[in-house]
Amino acid sequence: MLKISPDELKLVSQYIHDISGIYLDQSKSYLFETRLGSIASEHNCATYKELYQKAKSEPGKIIERQIIDAISTNETLFFRDKGPFELLQHKLLPELIDARTPLSPALKTNIKIWSAASSTGQELYSIAMIIKEMLPDIGKYTIKLVGTDISDRAVAQASRGKYNKFEMERGLPGDKLQRYFTMFGDSWTIKDEIRAMVQFKKLNLMLPFAGLGKFDIIFCRNVAIYFTLPDRQKLFNKIADSLADDGYLIIGSTESLTGICPRFIPKRHLRSIFYQKNP
Amino acid sequence: MREMTILVVDDDPVIRKMLEKRLEKEGYQVLIAEDGYQARKLLTQQHIDVVLTDLMMPGSIGGLEVLGIAKNINSNIEVIIITAHSSIDTAVEAMKKGAVDYLEKPINFDELFLRLAKITNLQAIIRNAQDLSQAMSTTESAAALTIQDLEIRNAELQGLCNNIAAILHNDQISADDRIDKVLTMLADSAL
Repeated sequence: MLKISPDELKLVSQYIHDISGIYLDQSKSYLFETRLGSIASEHNCATYKELYQKAKSEPGKIIERQIIDAISTNETLFFRDKGPFELLQHKLLPELIDARTPLSPALKTNIKIWSAASSTGQELYSIAMIIKEMLPDIGKYTIKLVGTDISDRAVAQASRGKYNKFEMERGLPGDKLQRYFTMFGDSWTIKDEIRAMVQFKKLNLMLPFAGLGKFDIIFCRNVAIYFTLPDRQKLFNKIADSLADDGYLIIGSTESLTGICPRFIPKRHLRSIFYQKNP
Repeated sequence: MREMTILVVDDDPVIRKMLEKRLEKEGYQVLIAEDGYQARKLLTQQHIDVVLTDLMMPGSIGGLEVLGIAKNINSNIEVIIITAHSSIDTAVEAMKKGAVDYLEKPINFDELFLRLAKITNLQAIIRNAQDLSQAMSTTESAAALTIQDLEIRNAELQGLCNNIAAILHNDQISADDRIDKVLTMLADSAL
């Protein structure tokens, strides 16, 4: 495996931060080597500096995308932590439906939910399955479920909705597997009725959230942990701007907004925490 | 590590005997079924890691059906199909339905043992990953409870500080009264 020098570590970690916001500890040189080594050899680079220069100057940004795919963590599963999904089903959605249902029965109820680091899609599909089961009269609603991720590869896999058996086994109850997936060989594909409810696109959370609009519920779990403190502050400030005044934010179960964004106040429901904007 | 249990399903007694002998010699636990019906019975009664099944067998439960039954019971059971050269298309069909591999007759035992060794390694890695993710989720849920408590407590204290600041800045009342009010408030908050 191609070794990385201390100078290159500095250079490459700064570059990764610039293109993705992800902050990688420079003491973990093996992480750079295992994730970027094969990209360097694929592009015939003898050093990481050469890879950096090639990636920076390449107009098609293919190498840059490969580096982001390799560096971003895609650890996720269906219904990861039960808490947020129970919270969604038993508190947030019922409250939101009450608040959003128009007086005239002719009008539809609008609900917009955003999975801000959707990885390979499991979180957003889990949300879609919950909504499908909660709302037998789903035609009365206009539900927009948006997933975004910085990795092109993750967005592509999420859009396909195809998972191998290891991805499926973890977290997904058997009845949901039978109901919402079709098996082909050793992989499962999400059925069209769920697939049609969601959309995935690429988004770098460090850049402006242009054109996304306001959301009623935002899931931003286990992604800010890869950012520096100033970047986290900027991120949650922008999230506050993208959240409806009475909307809800859900972060990872071991994350905290203390000292990061005073615009949010934490609220407890059973064994979960969610955030709302400070009025 | 625990040796894998392999279920051999074949209607040919010669092949059955040969597979049983060679696999046992390699250290595997071997179960034998003469047809699909026996295979189904064994699959529901015993823990089996790998099924080695002939594709064509008399009766309505052939190799493809055994594959379906095994995967239905536990998707972690790996199924290797044994096939004559003439039915390779069906073997490929079996792979689409979740078989891990197929072997052509006559069976090359070196090839079979290599594939079984790979399955053993893969299953060890999977078990290890499952242990790790279990450990991670235990740690995570313990940490989550602590963090939640701190987060809520911190928000309460922040609210208290804001209220105290508002009182201290209130010049409508005397300084002594302000201090009294603040002291009462601190006492009530049960710090």
